[in-house]
Amino acid sequence: MVDITIRKRPRAEAVITQRKFFKKTARGKIIKVLRERYLRDDVSCGVLSCTECSGEAVLSLDAHLQHKLFPSGHFILPDTNVFLSQMDLVESEMFTTPMVLLQTVIEEVRHRSLPLYNRLKALIKTEGKRIWVFYNEYRMETAIVRGEGETPNDRNDRGIRKATAWYSTHISSTHRQNRPAVILLTEDAANRRKAEAEGITTISLRRYVEGMINATQLLDLLAAAGSDEIEPTKAVEGRQALYPDYLPTSTLLAGVKAGDLHQGHFNADQYNYLEGSVSVQTFSKPILLVGREHMNRAVQGDVVAVEVFDETEWMAPADEVVDQDATLKNDDADDSGEEEEAVVDAESKAVSTSPSSNKQPTGRIVGVIKRNWRAYVCHIDSTSLTSSNSTSLSLQTVFATPVSRLLPRIRLRTRQAPTLIGQKILVTIDRWGNTSRYPEGHFVRALGKVESKEAEQESLLLEFEVPYRPFGKAILDCLPPEGDNWVVPPKADGNLAWRDREDLRNLLICSIDPPGCQDIDDALHARALPNGNIEAGVHIADVSYFVHPDTPMDSEAASRGTTVYLVDKRIDMLPALLGTNLCSLRPHVERLAFSAIWELTPDADIVNVRFTKSVIASKAAFTYEEAQIRKDDPNLRDPLTASIRLLNSLALKLKAKRMAAGALNLASPEVKIHLDSSESSDPIDVEQKEMRETNSLVEEFMLLANVSVARKIQESFPATAVLRRHLPPPKTNFEKLQDILKKRKGMVLDISSSGSLAASLDRCIDASQPTFNTLVRIMATRCMLSAEYFCSGSVGRDTFGHYGLASEIYTHFTSPIRRYADVLAHRQLAAAIGYSPLHASLHSKHHVERVLDVANRRHRMAQMAGRASVEFYVGLALKGRGEKQGVKEEAFVIRTFRNGVGVFVSKLGIEGLVMFKRDTQFDPDNYTITVPSSTKGLGDVMISVFDKVVVNIEVEKDRNTQRGKVKMSLIEPVDSRAL
Amino acid sequence: MSSRIEILNEGGFRSDGRRQYELRDITIDMSQQGTADGSAIITHGLTQVLVSVFGPREAKMRSQTLYDRANINVEVSIASFSTGERRKRSRGDKRILEMAATIKSTFEPVVQTNLYPRSQIDIFVQVLQQDGGLLQACINATMLALASAGISLLDFVSAVTGGVHSTSPMLDLTALEENDIPHVTVAVMPRTGKVTLITMETRLHVDRFEEIFKLACEAGKVIHGEMRAAIRLRTGMLISAMQSVSQNAGEKEDEQMYEY
Amino acid sequence: MDIDLDGDEDFDSGGSKLTCPGEPLTSAQDYMRGHGTYVENEEVIASVAGTIERVNKLVTVRAVRTRYNAEVGDLVVGRITEVQPRRWKVDANSRQDAVLMLSSVNLPGGVQRRKLESDELQMRTFFEEGDLLVAEVQAFFGDGSMSLHTRSLRYGKLRNGQLVVVPPILVCRLKSHFITLPCGVDLILGLNGYIWVSKHVKQSDREGEEGFDAEAVYSNQNDAIDDFTRIAISHVTNIIRALATRFIPLSDTILLKAYEWIVEQGSDVKDLLQEDIGDALVAGITAIG
Repeated sequence: MVDITIRKRPRAEAVITQRKFFKKTARGKIIKVLRERYLRDDVSCGVLSCTECSGEAVLSLDAHLQHKLFPSGHFILPDTNVFLSQMDLVESEMFTTPMVLLQTVIEEVRHRSLPLYNRLKALIKTEGKRIWVFYNEYRMETAIVRGEGETPNDRNDRGIRKATAWYSTHISSTHRQNRPAVILLTEDAANRRKAEAEGITTISLRRYVEGMINATQLLDLLAAAGSDEIEPTKAVEGRQALYPDYLPTSTLLAGVKAGDLHQGHFNADQYNYLEGSVSVQTFSKPILLVGREHMNRAVQGDVVAVEVFDETEWMAPADEVVDQDATLKNDDADDSGEEEEAVVDAESKAVSTSPSSNKQPTGRIVGVIKRNWRAYVCHIDSTSLTSSNSTSLSLQTVFATPVSRLLPRIRLRTRQAPTLIGQKILVTIDRWGNTSRYPEGHFVRALGKVESKEAEQESLLLEFEVPYRPFGKAILDCLPPEGDNWVVPPKADGNLAWRDREDLRNLLICSIDPPGCQDIDDALHARALPNGNIEAGVHIADVSYFVHPDTPMDSEAASRGTTVYLVDKRIDMLPALLGTNLCSLRPHVERLAFSAIWELTPDADIVNVRFTKSVIASKAAFTYEEAQIRKDDPNLRDPLTASIRLLNSLALKLKAKRMAAGALNLASPEVKIHLDSSESSDPIDVEQKEMRETNSLVEEFMLLANVSVARKIQESFPATAVLRRHLPPPKTNFEKLQDILKKRKGMVLDISSSGSLAASLDRCIDASQPTFNTLVRIMATRCMLSAEYFCSGSVGRDTFGHYGLASEIYTHFTSPIRRYADVLAHRQLAAAIGYSPLHASLHSKHHVERVLDVANRRHRMAQMAGRASVEFYVGLALKGRGEKQGVKEEAFVIRTFRNGVGVFVSKLGIEGLVMFKRDTQFDPDNYTITVPSSTKGLGDVMISVFDKVVVNIEVEKDRNTQRGKVKMSLIEPVDSRAL
Repeated sequence: MSSRIEILNEGGFRSDGRRQYELRDITIDMSQQGTADGSAIITHGLTQVLVSVFGPREAKMRSQTLYDRANINVEVSIASFSTGERRKRSRGDKRILEMAATIKSTFEPVVQTNLYPRSQIDIFVQVLQQDGGLLQACINATMLALASAGISLLDFVSAVTGGVHSTSPMLDLTALEENDIPHVTVAVMPRTGKVTLITMETRLHVDRFEEIFKLACEAGKVIHGEMRAAIRLRTGMLISAMQSVSQNAGEKEDEQMYEY
Repeated sequence: MDIDLDGDEDFDSGGSKLTCPGEPLTSAQDYMRGHGTYVENEEVIASVAGTIERVNKLVTVRAVRTRYNAEVGDLVVGRITEVQPRRWKVDANSRQDAVLMLSSVNLPGGVQRRKLESDELQMRTFFEEGDLLVAEVQAFFGDGSMSLHTRSLRYGKLRNGQLVVVPPILVCRLKSHFITLPCGVDLILGLNGYIWVSKHVKQSDREGEEGFDAEAVYSNQNDAIDDFTRIAISHVTNIIRALATRFIPLSDTILLKAYEWIVEQGSDVKDLLQEDIGDALVAGITAIG
């Protein structure tokens, strides 16, 4: 059994052993603090061969006689500032002098910078370093009390001097001969003076290093700050405001109304955390916000009011990548109020203006009109933890780093920080006061381990606000009571299901979809008519038969807006019974449909079109590949194949017409993830999606149906028709791309109309790089605005057009199972053909607008979620492919920065950033960056936009947050890892 | 900034300079407090508790009278200045009621209540200063006060708090440590080694529990020694005071009688 | 005497052995357990902190401070806590309130008068809640509570003075517990630790002419008390308090000595409550002998 004793404390000692004082917290509360200390005489000095102190010892006397100034051997006792400014030197393997590390020093380092403290702790444990931690605050002789009017800094200095003095006397009393000296190393001249006055040997670090044997190497490590004096810690009470106050709301609204201020959504820059922008109507370019102060606590998505500076102060966006994590790694979670000089320096460097000429409106945020805060998926930054002990229950202030690069780190107070490391957690922002550098938030819940599929999936859904709860009972109650056994009732006059329905069961209808598709919402047929024309039909699942307005199922679908496809999961808009069974136009079963049937001339001109509710029985469900094979197989002559061929011939003509009208053939990087098996869902490979003729076949007919339906419902309901449009992009969006193309490739992009753009895109061909054209198309796509749903009565007739499709009107009709807008279009079409009266809500412009707003937002989010899911799996696949060394892929440079390049790996469909540590020559006007060659002797290498390079891609975990990051480095033409 | 302090540093010291198994300084004052039948002030480090015992006496509430034994009534009041953040706790505060109930159940098996039927023993606990180990101090002070009131007890009771930092157990926690690590309070009867109270409000791993439990029982015996010495000192002092004078007085009486 | 004690820590005070609750004293086979002890596993174990006493084979532990343990014939001072049918409840510093039966008091109109129903209805005219009285322990009830009586002219309601409470053990058993100090102060040293200090009343006045004066005996009115007597009463109460806190047993002689010492020193009333003067007083009176 261990020895349990009572630490008796003589009453006389109470002056130095007890501290009772009151302190005022930041919130103005008065707190009584009680502390006591037990002073002892058994704190070991750690000197080997010490006759008084027992226990282990690491400070040996021999072999350190190499210092010029101290021939008889010595120990050093460094002051706090040595570690604060010269940690690199002390960490050096050549710096082996036995060292006494005082508790006072450790605590001061801990108080000043946690990351440095963690380094110091690692240092103590390093093999080969002889560091003895002396707990001077607990040793009777060396404990001191802060005097009246003494600053904490002075007190610590005094404590360090006292400990040094004690060491000297202690060693001389226990060692008869061969007494080593104990030297106080300090960078603080005042402290040195005082120490000398007290008869303590003291020396500055520089002078000490100069006297060492390997001085030349070590002097290199001496940080420049070594010559400066360290300023004492600023007192915490003087917590100054870091951000300007917001103007009062009334002033903001008045300002916006008067045009002095501009209102818009705040967009953070994903490359540079010190920049953001706000798009407003007044300016063609977004307003640039540079620096923390001007961004004034706005968070991605907030509606803010911006004041624009004079034109003379306008700036261009910085062309540098500034990573928040890298810049602020030494920042402390606890005292953010203090401006640490280093951070300010780094930041002011980062926001320095670039000489580039393309200036844009610049301003500052003067107020936030509406916060758009939600729960964010984050990781805990492990270096911000004060105690990583897993049983620790103490309240800690830590940083949570959001997964999204657009968000600032969030300060969080939690008692369970250690258990949250390595997990994805949900954090909400509570407030962001102007004295706090970071927003403050609170922990909501843990999602699970990082990189576990469940956690990643859920975090994706949360991050993009996808409603993913299972359907409630009220919703499921709206389904037909027969459930899976529901069938189209037998045809009889009195049957409601057959009312006004055409019987198309004997038509040769088939569906063509991607492999594994379960929610088949469209099917096609075509047949030659006796008059030489062709009848073509598009049959869409009749969702509106099952989903009635004003039911719980309808409102749930409206709020979900769309089905979300992740790589390994689908989040349905409608319950699975409808989506994958009753509404799915499966082969060989009778299904209700909404059909659009055209009579087309063999040249694919529309003779007439009619819409009807129908009952169909699909004859086959093909994949694109099967349909393609069937079509191409000359041996097959069955009517179904003939029908596909007929459809295909029409589709080719339709497409040609569309292209002639100026439709754009845009590209977006799409890849496909191969899953190992449905159970494990481990990705085994990534490949680019293949486009077949049959894809285009289906697409053309869907476009045709959508356009036809759009015309019909717009005609019938000019005020409330649910339509979709794609606005032409503002010219300024293309400026940069045009400039790059012109300068790098000598190519011209004509953007005067969609037709001319399409034509000029076609001309962008580099014979040596076959994928170049695709790259340009991808980049052009990024310059476009995104398409949106709208209510026909809400905007001017001249803005109905769909730019990308070059159609004057368009809607979504063909996928009612997975898009809510289509459900509305179905209802409107049904009313337009007199099948059923239009529900009152669809007569209300206001209501339609509101529903479509939601649909637009959900649509955007669903796309992003899908993309993020692909990205995650690409990451996993990469990890699987190249365990250690990473994967080498060809990539194109798409952007250049002062300190790196942005590259696009077309094969994987991912974008990445290559950073250069060394200085480079950056030419922002010509979009080139010149880096020194990795192999000696060769000259500098110039890299410019559109250059093909080879990158090495690895997935590495961020050490602090456990967040998986795709890290790219250049291999050709230069090896950036060597730089 | 409490989170800045290491609970147990690499050198094996706790934040107040103690090692793992070292208990804080204990001072015991058993002098008379007002009209109480027995009272004691105990300090464990900076935690200070005053307990006054009244009784056994007539129960104030007839309904509380038990016909075969005494009723133990514990009331706890926490001085508003005792905590870091000054705050007034009302009598009905759940936390206070719970503590009172804990103390009551700790002593019910120890006090020979069957010797005092129809009466009531009032225990008034006043917390003067808190720095961890509050329950432990309350129980120890109550024990001393009961002994000084001359109430029959089956055994001594001594309580101590133990906690586990990572895998290292430690004893007699300060407020700082209590906030940080899981802890358990154990009250033992040193002669029999029986445990009359074990309570914890934090989660403690079951593997660690046994270790800390045994340690706390051992530490209870150490504290018992300290408390026993204090009781003996006090008793001895009272008796010697009585005897010194009564002997003198007796002599005087004799002289006076002789004078008559 | 062959009692095993772990003698090393024993505080030896005048030969008496000390013990603490839970400490084994001796084998239960050889000795009988008395008060303050219990038997477990064939051992006699102390249950209170105090001195060990042995009478033949009987082992007892006497606690220093306890509530008052009454014996028949003891003189006690008490306070009425409750008026019940035909009885009063009296707080007498015991474990339970004592009982004063209506039949155990002297009623107005003759010592031997029969108790009437009208008396039961006007019990509060004799004793009310809060009234102090001096009485004698008459007997015990089955539940251990004691019964008092005031059927003596010396007993009855108290007035013209103030109450001091001391631990019962400090009140010595004396030939008489009615003490008159020369300074014109009467003392009633209740064995239960309640001490009544009052203005001196002449023996003849107290007894009255007719033997029993109901008006005077049950009066709630104080007599006129001059300043000198008031100061003397305060002096005496403070002396008692000072002695009690230093655990000095109280007897008539000690109190007399103490009063003399005070007069000699010329101390003021309030001085006595000061630590040093109290200590000096104790030193003074113990040294005189």
